[in-house]
Amino acid sequence: MPKVNMPEVAAGATYAVINRWTVEEGADINIGDVICELETDKAVVEYAAEVAGKLTKIIGQPGEEIDVGDPICIIGEDVAEEASAPAAEPEAPIAEAPVAAPVASPVVETPAAPTPAAPVAEAPTRVEGERIFASPIARKMASDNGIDVATIVGTGPDGRIVRRDVEAAIAAGPVAPAASPAPAAAPAAQPAQTSSSTELAPQDYSSSYTAVKHSGMRKAIARRLTESKSTIPHFYLYADCRVDELIELRKKLNEISPVKISVNDMVIRAIAAAFQDVPEANVVWTDDAMLKYESVDISVAVATETGLLTPVLRGVEKRSLSNIASAVRDLAERSREGKLRQDELEGGSFAITNLGMYGTEQFAAIINPPQSGILAVGAASEKVIVEQGQMTVANMMSVTLSADHRAVDGALAAEWLKAFKHRIENPLTMLV
Amino acid sequence: MTERIQLDPLEPWVELKSTKEDWQAADPQLLENMLCQLHLIRAFEEEILELAAEGLVHGPAHASVGQEGGAVGSILGLRTTDGVNGSHRGHHQFLAKAIQHVSPNLKADALVNEDIQKLIQKTTAEIMGLEQGFSHGRGGSMHLQWLEAGALGTNAIVGGGVPLAAGNAWAQKNSGTDDLTVTYFGDGAVNIGSVLESMNLTAAWDVPLVFFIENNLYAVSTSVEEATKEARLSGRGVGFGIPSWRVDGMDPLAVWHVMREVEAHSRAGKGPAVVEVEVYRFFHQNGAFPGSAFGYRSKEEEAEWLARDPLKRVADEMIERGLIDQSVVDKIREQAVAAMKTATAEILEEDPEGKPGSRRIKPGLWPETSFVDVGLRGDMSELEGTRSLEIENAGNLKDIRFVDAIASVMDQNMENDKRIVVLGEDVHKLKGGTNGATKGLERHEGRILGTPISENAFAGLGGGMALDGRFRPVVEFMYPDFLWVAADQVFNQIGKARHMFGGENGVPLVLRTKVAMGSGYGSQHLMDPAGIFATAPGWRIVAPSNPFDYVGLMNAALKLEDPVLVIEHVDLYTQKGQIPEGDLDYFINPGNAKVVREGKDVTVISYLNMIKHSMEAIEQTGMDAELIDLRWLDRASIDWDTIGESIKKTNAVMIAEQGVQGTSYGGWLADEIQRRFFDYLDQPIQRVHGREASPSISKVLERAAIAKTEEVVEGLKRVQQGFGGK
Repeated sequence: MPKVNMPEVAAGATYAVINRWTVEEGADINIGDVICELETDKAVVEYAAEVAGKLTKIIGQPGEEIDVGDPICIIGEDVAEEASAPAAEPEAPIAEAPVAAPVASPVVETPAAPTPAAPVAEAPTRVEGERIFASPIARKMASDNGIDVATIVGTGPDGRIVRRDVEAAIAAGPVAPAASPAPAAAPAAQPAQTSSSTELAPQDYSSSYTAVKHSGMRKAIARRLTESKSTIPHFYLYADCRVDELIELRKKLNEISPVKISVNDMVIRAIAAAFQDVPEANVVWTDDAMLKYESVDISVAVATETGLLTPVLRGVEKRSLSNIASAVRDLAERSREGKLRQDELEGGSFAITNLGMYGTEQFAAIINPPQSGILAVGAASEKVIVEQGQMTVANMMSVTLSADHRAVDGALAAEWLKAFKHRIENPLTMLV
Repeated sequence: MTERIQLDPLEPWVELKSTKEDWQAADPQLLENMLCQLHLIRAFEEEILELAAEGLVHGPAHASVGQEGGAVGSILGLRTTDGVNGSHRGHHQFLAKAIQHVSPNLKADALVNEDIQKLIQKTTAEIMGLEQGFSHGRGGSMHLQWLEAGALGTNAIVGGGVPLAAGNAWAQKNSGTDDLTVTYFGDGAVNIGSVLESMNLTAAWDVPLVFFIENNLYAVSTSVEEATKEARLSGRGVGFGIPSWRVDGMDPLAVWHVMREVEAHSRAGKGPAVVEVEVYRFFHQNGAFPGSAFGYRSKEEEAEWLARDPLKRVADEMIERGLIDQSVVDKIREQAVAAMKTATAEILEEDPEGKPGSRRIKPGLWPETSFVDVGLRGDMSELEGTRSLEIENAGNLKDIRFVDAIASVMDQNMENDKRIVVLGEDVHKLKGGTNGATKGLERHEGRILGTPISENAFAGLGGGMALDGRFRPVVEFMYPDFLWVAADQVFNQIGKARHMFGGENGVPLVLRTKVAMGSGYGSQHLMDPAGIFATAPGWRIVAPSNPFDYVGLMNAALKLEDPVLVIEHVDLYTQKGQIPEGDLDYFINPGNAKVVREGKDVTVISYLNMIKHSMEAIEQTGMDAELIDLRWLDRASIDWDTIGESIKKTNAVMIAEQGVQGTSYGGWLADEIQRRFFDYLDQPIQRVHGREASPSISKVLERAAIAKTEEVVEGLKRVQQGFGGK
């Protein structure tokens, strides 16, 4: 009865990792209290208790992969019963386990995102199709504001979603649940509280601000990025790449290619080629061992209306440019339609982020754990360069490699970036 | 040795028989009229039975075949302004009164004039449930009413029409007329409380009501001898001091003679009379089979009574006197039957889907189904032009005790409207009744009536006054629980009368009562009647929480053409409030609730003394609650605008009332709110009410059984839990 099982973090997920416990054994748990963070490769979900009672035992340890449906902890007094019933047949995970819907927890900066990912609602813990208890006015307000009640955690009796919960969600801004098929219109954020009220005299307006309460997702992003930046020893390498040939080649390729190939597709291809050139760089650090990847799996950030997704494009080294283009397009479309499989969100050792379309020339990104590198791609633009003592105009593109120094030393990173630059500046080599 | 003194009843009890001399001396026109009426009614009843056999009469058809003599003999001498009402078996009385009204001198050779034909058709149509009937088909066979003819409405509750008839007779007498009312009922009704209470009440007040017992020997299948020891049912009257007659109902002339003696008594202001006629229904309770077919009486008995058929008796006597011959009788019969055939031909047509020769009601003659609720209550046009006032705009105010405000507004209304009559137990004494609410009203002589303890009779008598319309009764129940004692009159009669008879005739009656929770009167005195009355659509309900509202609400209640329940509370009587200086004439009309405290967290809906308790609770919890004083509680009068506006703002509702759960008021309101405002609700509608059991005498148990401030506080906490949030 009091056993809490690993929820199905996303549809089709078979396991998840407990990132950390936010409560300790012996704590009194109320329904709705966050007790731990569950992590998949692409998301960290705050898991809220569905039952109340004392947290009598923590079963799942941080870092452990735990199959969906296996117990993670015991809430309630009935420890003896649990102990006397070991290896009990796992109960049907969906019926028993309140399951977390994942909320995207992007740790890469948004490339190509028309609106910044601004996840809002606290992560509710429920499975797809589960009956959602919400008061009539809560449903109506959510609907009027384009918010899916499924994204809201209820704080009313028995977890009912009540007016105040929706008001909080509205105040927090639009929702971005990962893989959620429900598109949410982006409503104007309602200020939860403001220093300027209608009663104030005009002279008081000068110091006005609006306090928007943190959503659970916002907090998760903050925590993840802080964790990444504080635990991964980042270092940065910059390179200016001349992309005249790349642009020319792209033009020609697009004359014959069945799908339109973007500069970004070519950058992805160049990254894969660079890893083929320097396979020692295709690694991931873990506490116990270095994981050496054989294929090149790259996370590609996709902006959707509901937020940012980072599906993984696998085996990029084996793909042609047109294949990359169509695969990225497919991933992007299915991201927007909410049809990605969980496995498509998992894995990868490297990521690409591109803010070039905003005109950003150069920037550095934060690594998405547990990956060991991310390439930040700036805008390609005409620059005056000196070539063989002559000033000339060329199309230049700045890239910044952020690398995990635990896995990749400076020389290795430099070697990889050199290979990348060579490939991008000699794009025909990517075609052979 | 004890001494034995013979006691005699106050009034005589006699049996009257006609003699040959009486028949010889009878006015030929009277006899012709008698014979013609008997035949019209007989042909009518036979045709109705035929229609019933064809399945064309929905519901029962209680035929009077065999019993016509009593009705015709008694009604022939009446005026249009005299009233009659009757029971479920009332076609003959209704027709006799209506025929007497439209055609007081029937002619044997030209029996059916246009008015008679119209009357027959309209009555047939009503019995068949058709739009052209007297009550648009709502009343049918058992609720025949034509007020213009003095037919007050027959009644399907055995004995239920008797108190109403008493009210009609009271109104006749107190309007300065010497009209009287005859209430017809059967042997089955003679043992029921309404009848016996009414005998007592009308005798006490010398009300000109004739209790006309059609003793047909069987209440369905139960014989009179089985049902009572004194099978000479007129004997009932003597015990109440009512002169009583027994007469053969198969002899219409004998009945006519009895009625002349009754008139001499009742029209002279000497009070009621009891007339028992022995009659015989030739058929079973309903339908066209004889009673013997059901085994409760013998064919021999039936044959004996058939031989005494009043139609035959009158015809034989007239032939014997040489006034007519058999051919005239046959001609009368022929005309009566033809009139019925003509009437049904107007209503029926060949059934295109039925067997050859089968008939159906012409489809266009049914009432529109949209008519179903029309006229449940009046349109309130009587309130047009009244002056509304709220205390905020009232100008100079003065302090007044609640109970004095009641007496004041009643006194003012009785002064301005001589139609208002107050009746109830002890209302005329004890300086304003048991609570002082009628203090000073005794100056309105003859219009403040202390009643015997018989709520069914005096509530019904009030109902009869209201139906008559010349008076506006204000009935007081000392405690609300007495509504159960008077339930037939309150709900079946007063509440339904307007609608049942077609929705056009008002029932301007005010019923005052006081909630007494907290007074220690125990399980049978401490209900809140609001919930029960709210189930009766004919009733409007007000429940004032302060003297100012009481004045405005009572003025509206007295003006309305609908029955209005005015609920008071013992706790409020001694409380002081404010009313305008020198102004008792303002109105608070239906549809006007009052927001007595504005707030945004929860809408608290309450009334009566619970307004004060709710306010205290809100202050104690510090919640920002909006408190609505309903003032008008019934379905038709409630202020949905104010309620809705508040709910749309707060999204949470709590209904607070004092009384027990079972009869509580809030149930229907919660139901209606969730239908109307579902999308605006953020939590279940919370309710505060008493416990399941009726409050006990024991002080602590009584307190535990009811809701006051503390219970409202608890309710508000439940609402707070429902808010959620962290």
